[in-house]
Amino acid sequence: MKSFLYALVFVVSLFPGAARLLAQDVSYEQLLHADSTPQDWLMYGGDYQSQRFSRLTQINRENVHSLKPAWIYQPNHPLQPFETSPVVVDGVMYVTEPLSTVTALDARLGTKIWSWSPHLPEKIFTIGVHRSNRGVAVFNNTVYVETLDAHLVALDATTGAVRWSVHVDENGQGYAMTGAPRVLDGKIIVGISGGDVGIRGFVDAYDAKTGKRLWRVWTIPNPGEPGSETWGKDMSGTGGAGTWGTGSYDPELNLLYWTTGNPAPDYNGSNREGDNLYSDSVLAIDPDAGKMKWYFQFTPHDTHDWDAIQVPVLFDEMVEGKPRKLLALANRNGFYYVLDRVSGEFVTGVPFVTQTWAKGLDKNGRPILLPNTEPTPEGSLVYPDGHGGTNWNSPSYSPQTKLFYVSAREIGAYTVQGQPKVHFPDFGGGGRNALSGDDSYGAIRALEATTGKLKWEYRLLAPAEVSTLATAGGLVFSVSDEGNFFALDAATGKLLWEFTVGGTGAESNPITYEVDGKQYLIGASGNCFVAFSLP
Amino acid sequence: MPGSSTVSDREAANIVAYLRTLNSPTTSGVVTGDPKKGEALYNSSGCPACHMIAGQGGSIGPELTRVGAVRGATNLKARLQDPGANLPQVGDGPFGSKWTQYLMFRAVEKDGRAVEGVRVGEDSFTIVLKDASGKFHGLWKPDLRSLEKEPGKSFMPSFKVTLSAAQQDDLVAYLMSLKSAQ
Repeated sequence: MKSFLYALVFVVSLFPGAARLLAQDVSYEQLLHADSTPQDWLMYGGDYQSQRFSRLTQINRENVHSLKPAWIYQPNHPLQPFETSPVVVDGVMYVTEPLSTVTALDARLGTKIWSWSPHLPEKIFTIGVHRSNRGVAVFNNTVYVETLDAHLVALDATTGAVRWSVHVDENGQGYAMTGAPRVLDGKIIVGISGGDVGIRGFVDAYDAKTGKRLWRVWTIPNPGEPGSETWGKDMSGTGGAGTWGTGSYDPELNLLYWTTGNPAPDYNGSNREGDNLYSDSVLAIDPDAGKMKWYFQFTPHDTHDWDAIQVPVLFDEMVEGKPRKLLALANRNGFYYVLDRVSGEFVTGVPFVTQTWAKGLDKNGRPILLPNTEPTPEGSLVYPDGHGGTNWNSPSYSPQTKLFYVSAREIGAYTVQGQPKVHFPDFGGGGRNALSGDDSYGAIRALEATTGKLKWEYRLLAPAEVSTLATAGGLVFSVSDEGNFFALDAATGKLLWEFTVGGTGAESNPITYEVDGKQYLIGASGNCFVAFSLP
Repeated sequence: MPGSSTVSDREAANIVAYLRTLNSPTTSGVVTGDPKKGEALYNSSGCPACHMIAGQGGSIGPELTRVGAVRGATNLKARLQDPGANLPQVGDGPFGSKWTQYLMFRAVEKDGRAVEGVRVGEDSFTIVLKDASGKFHGLWKPDLRSLEKEPGKSFMPSFKVTLSAAQQDDLVAYLMSLKSAQ
């Protein structure tokens, strides 16, 4: 449904021809069927399943070699990582810029329409947190953004005017917000950053119209609650387990899948004996009740900073002759997991990068630990490093190839155990010393989604922290750590196109959309946000 | 030390990398030789053919105008003896990734032509090598038949045998005296 009360923004009368831009009133119905409007990119991950798969085909295997820059946008605060994954609605693109700025752009021309920045306090605590932002959510002509000082703000999509702003938690205690919100029907779901300084993680839901908090699901149980026994003592106030990724949603099951970060202190677990629930887990949450239905923990008692905040990818596929509703997650700990997303049952799990800390996973998906892999005062070499086999950036899944495309990081680190520090803001348990660039590498890997078996890989110079994008044009797009945009054949991994932007492509999250019949690819590298199209 | 409220992961890694240089083996060691004798040895041993000091000399190897300010005597002596071993690393990658400087590569193009040189630039798709004559070769990796690192190798000859230990110390003393910008 479109609301023409807000619709007309302005008429572009310059090159390349007049076009009317509409700030569309995105409805829940549209969000549910995001795949039916592939010209838009309506939400983080592209759709509720977070598949990052576009059904656009104008740019395809045959013509991608002709892709050229269409426009470049440079943010106002270029010295921080540019981590946004844009949202595109009816020719208007909403991006976030460091620190917590939202900018609306003409998606065809790259021209700025409006920009909004919060009045951030002079002193902001972002320890262990990138001073950046990963994107917005758009719903009912409103743009929702999280701010570094832990506010959730609703902006008018047409003007950038503030509709409401709510204080989510105390930045002075380490709580910060950098993620992209997830919109359900009338609810805005957000997570929290700051797990490395001993916050207590949570997932929150807010009323989209008023900003009223509807529920909060804690990621660390209160004393006496189930799971509290997995900490050895009461760590409910400082155990970490942040929630700084963006979750996925199954509307039919009405389950929200949100992931959690590492327990704190990070590299020294002596202060928190046990599995440390619900750190490094995926939580299945009933968004109406605000209750956890099930959880699956990937790395019990993590001492390597392997946040499990990777985006869960939802897909349906046959497993051993039976149709299954699945959830796939390539984890920072080096394993690729497939779960039954109805029950949380472990289906399969295999390493997708070199890992040296576990013999494998048992029948329930619990890692079978190898000896001598804990951090030591001298440093213990373990693969993958603390930034993981892959980090927070999104993988993609193509229903055409049934492959899961992930940025794989082949790198180890000497993990050093220090004294546990548990008094904010002096919080931590050691650190890591990663191997050099010449002793590591990156790759885009295509895994069979149901088994995790490697189908192909394309090697990259440095281990990259980037997202992938799969399209119905038979392509996988990504960006190297050194700022090369490239396209691979989704079926074979063959290189089909490359364009060097420079800077660093680290943190880039390419997406695609279409305006006036022309498909664009866009992603960030260095201080540039570059849109490409065919001539 | 309290955590910083304004430092990102990447910035923190850069700070750590800098702090490590303050106590690095590349900047330690004691000077024992005679810098004047060392200067004469520098000129008579062919060094200026490849290295530049204050605008004079060749450009095959690293410029040495301020080498005494960025390297230590122990490191420089090791360089003279085994130029390709324990090459220095620089941290210009994200999150403090370090890369080996002056690392040699051998690339073979699809037509069989081989290029050997020192890496001066690289990304996931390209590499630029500087050959023994100082010429740059920009190569598109997907078109190469092979690309191999040559750890331990260097265009620079070893002076371990051709110079006595005392002469090596003199040469190191001269190099360590080079601390000022031109």
